[in-house]
This record gives sequence, C-alpha cells and structure tokens, in this order.
Amino acid sequence: MKTTVVGAYPKISDEHQDLRRALHKADREELDDAGLDAVFDDTTAWAIGELAGAGLDIINDGQIRWDDLLAPFAKAWRNCERGPLERFYDNNTYFRQPIIKGPIETDGQTLVRDFKFADSTPHGKASLKGAVCGPLTFATLTAQDTHYKDLEARTLAAADAIAKELAGLKAAGAKIVDVEEPALAAHPELVDLERAALQRLAKPGVTVALYPYFFPIDKIIEKLDVAPVGVLGVDVRSREASDKAIEHLGGFKGTVSLGVVDGRNTRIETQREIGELVDAALKQLRDERRLYLSTTTGLEYLPHDVALKKLAALTHAARVTGGVR
Amino acid sequence: MSEILLTTTVGSFGKPEYLQKARNAVSRGKASPSELEELERKATEEWIRRQEEIDLDILVDGEMYRGDMVAYFADLIDGYREGGLVRSYGNRYYHKPVIASKVSRRKPMTVDWFNYTQGLTDRPVKGMLTGPYTMLDWSYNEAYKTRRDAALALAEVVRQEAEDLERAGAKYIQIDEPAIHARPEELDIAIEAMGVVTQNLKAKTISHICYGDFAAIYPKVLDLPVDQLDLAMHNYEYRWLKLFDKDPFTKELAIGVVDVHSHRLETVDEAAEGIRKGLKYVKADKLLPHPDCGLKTRTVEESLDKCRIVVEATKKVRAEVAKQAVA
Repeated sequence: MKTTVVGAYPKISDEHQDLRRALHKADREELDDAGLDAVFDDTTAWAIGELAGAGLDIINDGQIRWDDLLAPFAKAWRNCERGPLERFYDNNTYFRQPIIKGPIETDGQTLVRDFKFADSTPHGKASLKGAVCGPLTFATLTAQDTHYKDLEARTLAAADAIAKELAGLKAAGAKIVDVEEPALAAHPELVDLERAALQRLAKPGVTVALYPYFFPIDKIIEKLDVAPVGVLGVDVRSREASDKAIEHLGGFKGTVSLGVVDGRNTRIETQREIGELVDAALKQLRDERRLYLSTTTGLEYLPHDVALKKLAALTHAARVTGGVR
Repeated sequence: MSEILLTTTVGSFGKPEYLQKARNAVSRGKASPSELEELERKATEEWIRRQEEIDLDILVDGEMYRGDMVAYFADLIDGYREGGLVRSYGNRYYHKPVIASKVSRRKPMTVDWFNYTQGLTDRPVKGMLTGPYTMLDWSYNEAYKTRRDAALALAEVVRQEAEDLERAGAKYIQIDEPAIHARPEELDIAIEAMGVVTQNLKAKTISHICYGDFAAIYPKVLDLPVDQLDLAMHNYEYRWLKLFDKDPFTKELAIGVVDVHSHRLETVDEAAEGIRKGLKYVKADKLLPHPDCGLKTRTVEESLDKCRIVVEATKKVRAEVAKQAVA
C-alpha cells in the first residue's frame, strides 16, 4: 500500500519564511521577477525535500507557485484572467474567480517547466506526480463568461484545455496526474457532466488520479468507475460521517487513494483510527495494491509543523498496516 | 441622524502605520503591551473622529486592537490555544486558533473597548462580536466530538459577552457569521447557536455575512435570530437581490455598495445605484448602506475614501426618496 499527498503544501514554516519575505519585497518592487522565481524554486525544493523526507511513495511539487487551485490556468490560458476574490468552498481561504472572455486556448505547457524542475530536484525513492485543476471546478467557479453558452460548454472547453496540459505533463515525464475536483464533491448532481469531461481527459493516455474533496462523495463513487480514472481520492476521515464512503469503495475498480489523515484539522490521527479505516477499506477492495493512503486534502490548510506530523502519522500507518516500505 | 438609509460600516478599518509598527515592535519584544494599547486607543479615537467627520450614522471602533476576527477572541477564551501560521490568500497569513479543550469566557473581551469608544461620541457605536459558528468553522476543533457541540459551547461564551455589551449600553450588537454558508447542511447549527446568543437581548442584533454562496442558504437564513442581515452585495454585482424576488427578504438589510478588496474607488453614482437596487426590495428605513465588508485590508486613506463614497451616495439617494415622498 503506497502513500501519497494531494494538493498544496505549506509555503512557509516558522523558520522558513523566504517566500513570504520575497513576495513582500516584490510587492514593494525591491525584488525583480528573476529574484522571485529563484525563491519560488528554492521553496519548491524545500517542500519536495520535506515530502520525500517524510517517506511518502508518491509526491507532488507542493504547488508552491500556485496562488490558488485555479490560478496557474486562469493566468496562463488565453482569453482567461483572474477576477474577483471569493472564499474557497468551506475554507477560510480565498481564491480569484476566473473570467472567460473568449475561447479557452492553451499550448499545454502551463506546468511543464515546473514539473521538470521538480523532477530534477532530489526526491529520493519517491516518484513525482503532476496536478491540475479539474474542469468542473474551473467552470463552476468562473465569475464571468462571455463566450460559452452554458456550464456544460464551459466545462468541456476547460476539459479540452486540461487534456492539453495532461499531454504536456506526460511528455515531461509524468505518469500520474492528480485532477483536483472539489466542485464534483460540492455538486454531485453534476456527475454526468464530470464523466463527459473525464472522457476528454483520457486522450493523452496519462493516469488520472481524481480527487473530489471537501465534501462527501459516497453517493457517486460507482459512477466514477470510468476511464481514465485510474485512482480515485476518497475522504473517509474529515467529517462526522465521512467513513460512510467506505461501504461504496467496492463499486470502483481502480486504485483508491484513501484520505485517512485530515488535511484541515490539527488533531493528529492515531494509528488505531487509521488502522480501522484501512481494514474497513480492504474488506471492500480485497487487494492492498489497489489502496493508497493519503491526506484528505492539501496540507496547506494546516500550519507547517502540524503538516509534518500528519505526514509522519500517514507514513507510519502505512508501515504498520503492511505498507511497501 | 437621518431616519432613513442609515449609514454604517462592517467593523474594521485600515490601521495607521504607527500602529502596525507598534504591533511589530511588541511581537519582537521591543515595546510593551501597555504602550501598544495606548496607541490603539489613539487610533480608535482618530477613527471615531473620522467617522463623525464623514458623517456616518452608526459607528464602529474600527478594531484597532484586533488582528484577526477569530484569533482576537480565541486569545481571550479559555480552552483555545494559538495555532501556527496558515495562509488566507495571496501572501497573507494568520494564526488559526485551536479549540484544545472545553471553552469558557475568562472575562469580558470587548466591553472595555466599547465603553471607551462610546464615550468618545454621541453617535451610537456597535458592539462587535464574532458569531459562534464562525468561531468554530475558522478554528481547528480538537476538543468537541461534534461541530454542533462546539458551536453551542462557543455560543454560550458569545452570549455572555453580548449580554455584557447590552448592559454597558450597546444599542446595536453585531454578531458576525461570515462562515455561515461554508457548509449549508449545517445552517441549522448556526441558527441554533445564534439563538443562544440573542435569546435575551433587547438591543438591535445584526449579523454580517460575506464572501460565499449566499444562494445556498437563502431563504433559510432568514431564520437566523437577528434583526438585521449585513451582506456583501457590490462584489457580487447585487445578484443576491434576485433571490428576494421569489422569497421576500424579511429583515433589515445592511447592503454593501463598495468593494473592499479593490484599490479602485467606486463613483458616487455607482454606489447610489447599488442603494437604489436595494430599495426595490427593502424600505428605506430598513436599508443601511455600507461597504461590503471590513476595510482592514485597505489603507487608512482608502478606507476613508470608500466610506465617503458610501455617505455621499446615500445622501444623494435620500434626497431622491424625500422628493418622491413629497411628490
């Protein structure tokens, strides 16, 4: 059973605040773009070092350059821009809503440079995966759209653009790419639209790890047993009834990334709590090779010191419950 | 004070540079808390004078002594501990507090500030509290088995503070719930918790709600036991007003008519148009123009400019309403 993370890692710690200082300096025009880029790279290397150092099997780059889940795409895609500030689902964090002024166009290279940089950064035995914003999330969180006639057209256009990003990441060496799709968990009634979008993400041939987080997905797990979803992230920890999802895991034939460590609360899970969730999941999946253990969401919702403790709880649980290390 | 379209603000204003420096100095151990408090009082008085000068009707203390709206209270409530830094957006970070054990109020948390501020002016000053649901949602919960348990425990703390504010003379008590739409399925918890807070109050009660999917909690949110809802509207291009077509709004409405997260200064006409939109749904004696949210992310000058626009726009619309009444 492998361990992995999803989403963004804390950008600073009590001791490591280089990025925070650099961004302040850049705001005051005391640091140029090249200087800021160097700090972003250094901070990315720091995050990768911590993720790999924690003993995870599959890591991402910590999304240190991402201001929010949508930002890299809203910034890079032609005819898109970043608009008004809005609260990001049920978090006390904010993001800028995209504005769409014409057909979404991309060369598929939005994340390639950063993925290559991350891959060139020492990360021990851990393998590196990519990550993108899910098409439904991009489409539903858009503030203004003067081009597409409705949500379906906008979602499918975003899916086509994301498929190009997946192709770019695949060419750069990514074998797995997380598609972070909180909108699907927030709007399970849109699962058919999501399935149509996922079909478009199949074209590049990269393994998609679909992470619909923040809200329960127990009612739609079976409907997500669709190509190209090779890995499905399922939170079984963060809400009072999250573990209900476990009963539905048998309806998914791929690998389940079981969110057993809550990325949004500071209480550290005990080995017993994690172990019980793992045992219950294995009863459904019947094959521990089809089970990853992961955080429920990104760890950026936690202070850095707690994030580290969560990673330690995760990797320790994998070891004591029969993980690969 | 006019009897219609009373102007107000949501709570916080930009802090003067000397206060920012003093806060930094205290955190580095280079100034004492009492020196900081002296400057906080100075800054508070400056903001009272500015609000009077601008001619706002219902004033606030400006929260010169607060950083984050949850962390301020968490520091003063037993059972909380300070959490580490987490990012809110961009390059802004805050210490997200942790409910580490059962909560209880150590002592009054805002009453001295209310007494001080109200003593500076003849205009009414709002008592300003953070609501129990938001206190819960913006904290980490390690102590309570369920979120309802935690919200109700926090409600008891906020109730004690609200009743002390009323005893101190507060005519308006604002209990902010910006997180209320975070989990629409928990709206009943937020309503129940607010009921604990306001059950014995005679003062006018207000709840500020902002930056989230208001449609997801409307019209159920009308059951929130407060007299006035205080809503960010400009940032949403007033689209929440359309909800009132189907389910009429039944409370007083404090309507946001300028954006607080933009450096751009709205025109008087733009803000006036926002007030006119509100008047289609709420009568002038129950509609209170104000900025969308607290102004703490703006500079002192930007905060002032935004408030001036609100007041000028209101005066313009008041004249229109008076003219229509005569006609």
